[in-house]
Amino acid sequence: MYDKKTLNSQKLDLRVGVFICRCGGNISDIVDIDKLKSSIDADVVEEFENLCSLNGRKIIRDNIINKELDRVVIASCSPITHEKTFQDYIQPLNPYLMDMANLREQCSWVHGDMDKATDKAITLVNASIEKVKQSQAVDPILCQTPESAAVIGGGISGISAALSLAKQGVKTYLIEKKPSIGGNMVKIGKVFSPVKLAEECGMCLLNPIMNETVWHENIEILTNTKVLSTERRAGNFSILLESNPRYVDEEKCISCGKCIEECPVEVPNRWDDGLSMRKAIYKPFSQSYPDAYTIDMENCEKCGKCMKKCPMGAIYLKGEKEIVPLNVGAVILATGHKTFDPNLRPEYGYNRYADVITQSELGRIMGVNGPTKGKLKMLSKDRVPRRVVMIQCVGSRDEKPDGHKYCSKVCCMVALKNANIIKHKYPDTDVIICYTDMRTPGMYEKYYKHGQENGIRLLRGRPGEVNKKGDSLVVRVEDTLQKKFTEIETDMVVLSTAIEPSQGSEEISKIMNVGITEDMFIKETHPKIKPVTTDVKGAYVCGTAQGPKDITDSIMQAHAAASKVAEIMNDGLEIEPFVAEIDDEKCNLCEDCISICKYKAMSIKDEMIYIDPMSCSGCGKCLTVCKPRAINIHGNIDEKIFATISGMLKGKKEGEKRILVFLDQVGYTAADNIGVNRVDYPESIYIIKVHSVNRVMPKHIIYALKNGADGVFIGEYPGDLMYQEVENKMNQIREEIKDHGMNPERLQFSNVYIPYFRGLANKFKEFDAKIGSMDA
Amino acid sequence: MDTIKIDDNPLELAEKIVEDIKFSKEKGLLKCVQCGMCTSMCPGARNSEYNPRAMIEKVLEGDESVISDKTIWNCFYCYTCHSICPVGNSACEVNQILRQIAISKGIANEEVSPFAGFVDLMMDIGLGGIPDNFHQDLIRDIGKEWEEKNMNLNKIREELGLKPLEMPKNSIKEIRVLLKKTGLDKRVNKLRE
Ligand code: SF4
Ligand code: SF4
Ligand code: SF4
Ligand code: SF4
Repeated sequence: MYDKKTLNSQKLDLRVGVFICRCGGNISDIVDIDKLKSSIDADVVEEFENLCSLNGRKIIRDNIINKELDRVVIASCSPITHEKTFQDYIQPLNPYLMDMANLREQCSWVHGDMDKATDKAITLVNASIEKVKQSQAVDPILCQTPESAAVIGGGISGISAALSLAKQGVKTYLIEKKPSIGGNMVKIGKVFSPVKLAEECGMCLLNPIMNETVWHENIEILTNTKVLSTERRAGNFSILLESNPRYVDEEKCISCGKCIEECPVEVPNRWDDGLSMRKAIYKPFSQSYPDAYTIDMENCEKCGKCMKKCPMGAIYLKGEKEIVPLNVGAVILATGHKTFDPNLRPEYGYNRYADVITQSELGRIMGVNGPTKGKLKMLSKDRVPRRVVMIQCVGSRDEKPDGHKYCSKVCCMVALKNANIIKHKYPDTDVIICYTDMRTPGMYEKYYKHGQENGIRLLRGRPGEVNKKGDSLVVRVEDTLQKKFTEIETDMVVLSTAIEPSQGSEEISKIMNVGITEDMFIKETHPKIKPVTTDVKGAYVCGTAQGPKDITDSIMQAHAAASKVAEIMNDGLEIEPFVAEIDDEKCNLCEDCISICKYKAMSIKDEMIYIDPMSCSGCGKCLTVCKPRAINIHGNIDEKIFATISGMLKGKKEGEKRILVFLDQVGYTAADNIGVNRVDYPESIYIIKVHSVNRVMPKHIIYALKNGADGVFIGEYPGDLMYQEVENKMNQIREEIKDHGMNPERLQFSNVYIPYFRGLANKFKEFDAKIGSMDA
Repeated sequence: MDTIKIDDNPLELAEKIVEDIKFSKEKGLLKCVQCGMCTSMCPGARNSEYNPRAMIEKVLEGDESVISDKTIWNCFYCYTCHSICPVGNSACEVNQILRQIAISKGIANEEVSPFAGFVDLMMDIGLGGIPDNFHQDLIRDIGKEWEEKNMNLNKIREELGLKPLEMPKNSIKEIRVLLKKTGLDKRVNKLRE
């Protein structure tokens, strides 16, 4: 089956026109244009000085109309630079009925010998003619997404994203698992900004934003609600939500608080880090939204006392979970973070000594809405501590089990903030921060200096343990600058615990199948140049769900995510048409393809396989498992690859060497750079551009080797999602090559990077030499 | 003033240690951030001038003087630093390797020769025991009763129905031959030079 391949062009007498560009001597100085012209078999062959000029456009169009051309080959420079230009020049033909033979970057700029370069140019043009004959008219797929979005997580990131979307006219659902929106910022107490050397009330900053969110007509807030499942089909996310009852009707409840007087149950208040108690019926915090009480059913005894007391009759004790379906065009993940459990470092005595607390707890203690109404007190006795020691990097920059290798980015600022607040209010209390490195990037350095001026003491060294000695706690640390083993006596120890991914992030990443990082935060497609995008098209991430960051950065990221959503709402998503398509006649519904697709593009719909063009990358993986061969990549990809291969091998002379090189976008750009920099490589190298090297299948490789290729070289960019896939299958293909009685060494797989073009040229040379030394 | 020259390779010593068969922590040494957590918990550091972090710092600077630094002999080999280092280094193992280097350079005789008594005892009675030169220290640390117990050991054993702590003469001879064959006697003599 590999030897003869019937190419299935619909119309056999397609009229092809070839337009050759001299490129102002760039091509014609090396390639003998007359010989090239006379060696090509096409219906029209024309040459021009500068084909990309406006004059070129007229000539191409006239020829298409007057000579009734069906297909066009442009033999000129690289498609990377001019594909769009020539796609436009061949109107009224469909843009995908044109192909470019890259005579400049891949021939005249890399080869010096005129005869050899001319022969190669003929081959490149022939391959394009063969390929273009297999091309079909296809249109880009435009997916219009509905103008609505779901924001998952109601902390400062989610709130900011929702507001931004709402203001841009997008209907937004803000989904929060807890009974109120507000997130971690509610607990934070005071915040500071580096430019203002003063601490402001966090709640006072959050409140107006929360109010705006509550009142905005484009925002619907769903509290006590979590995501059960999501599915993305053709620009649409179908989401199933589970909404839990509050047991208090939020329309009726007037927040009078009469019910709590009656409730016999007392449990630690989680909104206060467990430092105070609350009833089973409660309001999370005074400004919470919705402005209503809620019953925590885990602890409620169902005595009904609150019901009797409620003047509004708002309380009901029987309620069912509700499943709510939602349809939106995009999703923003803002599922936030949690902090490291200090019990995992028992050496610091967190649970053993009442006065060993976390920064978050210290924030509660000093928050006016906290358990001591803002007074700094030791938890063991009613006294202001004379000394407070803070321990940095608890669980951060820590490679021990349960630790986190990364720096949590905000702890130095949080420690400085709390230390400064202590120094302002209680100048007699001594504060020592034990640090490994103080990290206060950018403007925050100013705040660091401010702290030093306030008399905060800094000791460089990472404490190993906290003990009790008499009435005091003792922190054991080396003062590494003085090279001294030191014991610091103190009243209070504050642990700066690491920021870690929240459980919500973990859950949603599983539900939606979005990628996560090694540290379990939600992963961005490319952390450098594609911030806030995730591996799932139409889903974006912001805030601490993506990694440790402060409030400002969270808000900025939220706005970035909102603007990405607005982009797809306004313009729709235009998708390359080269996606998988299914032949329902042939498909036997074995569903093998569904499980293999990395992009989750396939599903069953109305007893047929449905491929979501939004998700399909056209990688072609599904083709390899489909036994009845019911799947095809739209636009005849398979046939085009076969045709290009046979075109590249056409007219091969006795003793001539031809090596086929398959490169994707990244590899092709690297190869262009070889040309631009005039680095030479052997004439035996023939480059074929593919969308993903995964589309090059064993049958193509074996077909090439059987039909005269001396070697096949596959270049892959290691950042590609399919990289592992491709690498794995290479060994399998080598086996197959062996089965066909050929030397598996004729296949080479190699990493490519755009800037590493000289390396790629060297690899071409080495492979050419290796092939040259082979006899079988 | 110290000058760091272009061709200096400060990591030579560190790399030698990382490659030593004794060192179990892969690249941990090279990741030390000088946090001092090891020192904070080190009983050696608490009771003497020894400082495991400073020792690691010298190793990473390629400062060979650390090998002859007397304080490295104050480590107890308690492995506390080994288990708490947040980047997976082991000051304890680094210390052991440094001591080995010092011994092979012949600059540690003063530190190691007192222990030669252990070898003498093996040669003499074929058993491990506490050499005489430690007796005074033990009496001081533990008290008179230790001396009494030690002097009357065989009597106490007899009361307890145990045989005297003795090797048959032949076995002692065999052990002596074996130890000599391994060259241990020569090594010990070298330490005493
Ligand atoms: S019914 Fe539940 S919430 Fe109401 S008073 Fe009784 S225990 Fe408290
Ligand atoms: S071509 Fe790739 S992405 Fe598209 S459906 Fe097939 S396996 Fe999935
Ligand atoms: S604990 Fe580890 S990282 Fe810290 S100074 Fe000691 S060896 Fe270096
Ligand atoms: S092993 Fe040695 S260096 Fe490490 S903590 Fe114990 S005494 Fe100190």
